Amino acid sequence: MTLKYIFKSEQKWFQMIRQSSGIFLIAVIIGLAVNQLHPNKLPLVANWSLEARLTLESGESMVIPIEEARELFLSQSAIFLDARSSKLYEHGHILRARNLPWNAVDEHFDTVMADIHHDALLIAYCDGESCAEGKYLALELFYRGYENVRVLVNGWSLWVEQHLPVEKGSWQGES
Amino acid sequence: MKHLHENADSSLPDYSQGIHAPDHEPGKSRRWYQAKVLPFVVRLILGGVFIYASVDKILHPAAFAEAVYNYKILPDALINLTAIILPWLELLLGIFLLSGVYLPGAVFLINILLVTFFVALVFNLARGLDIHCGCFTTSQEATINPCMCLYMLRDGAFLLLALYLFSHVFLRKRTTKNIER
Repeated sequence: MTLKYIFKSEQKWFQMIRQSSGIFLIAVIIGLAVNQLHPNKLPLVANWSLEARLTLESGESMVIPIEEARELFLSQSAIFLDARSSKLYEHGHILRARNLPWNAVDEHFDTVMADIHHDALLIAYCDGESCAEGKYLALELFYRGYENVRVLVNGWSLWVEQHLPVEKGSWQGES
Repeated sequence: MKHLHENADSSLPDYSQGIHAPDHEPGKSRRWYQAKVLPFVVRLILGGVFIYASVDKILHPAAFAEAVYNYKILPDALINLTAIILPWLELLLGIFLLSGVYLPGAVFLINILLVTFFVALVFNLARGLDIHCGCFTTSQEATINPCMCLYMLRDGAFLLLALYLFSHVFLRKRTTKNIER
């Protein structure tokens, strides 16, 4: 049995090609036109790199230097969030920092953030220049409505280098 | 584009050999999957689903772009373009399915889309990426992320419906008349 006996007609296949091309073209035209007119129009090609995504609308980056983090710590104006695993956190973390491990963020988010206001200044950190967990945690917090969040890159190592206050042990869930 | 009637269902029984056409034995009702009402119902379901799925994405393109990014499949450069164009494609396809217009093109495209979505889900399930599906809502805030298996079941069901439509529109029913030709 050849294909000719199975398919209804070649005409249907030509229709398919013509019509699907036409439909696709119309969708492209409408999509681009509506996007142009949209008040919050998307750029056609955006920068999806992590650094770009960490840049706020004002042009500032969420990344803060160690000096700024220290000031905020001393004035007790920020809550520090350790994005590393609980094992690393227990071994040592910034004094009074909470543990919200990125690898289990969905499980612990509600408990850790329960008593934190959406306006609160948060500083996410992990360890190592290439560690992205702090950055991912910051973005996650941002998208969940905690828009006042910053990132301290290589936070743990820098903190220890500067001999700033640290402590050990697991987070007991008390603020 | 051709006239409407050329796209209409051409599966009417052949009465050139008398009332008892070869694929319709006297006294036997047509098989349920051959009845004309079934393709219509399937078109309604899929058309409705596609229109419903497109609305939130059209209203929140930035959030949808975020969802597309999270699948980590497309190259960065294509993400925004996809977020801009795909929802309108879904809306158009939903409308064409409901109205029965340009069915060959529409049915072909919905099959392409549903196969793509299904493969993307399976691919991400296989590599352990736990993502918010982004299929019907662009909200990334769901505190409970339903098992991706559920997404697969649902998408699999839609894909089966789409494949049925494909066979109905494009494939000839096997009848003795066809074989004899």
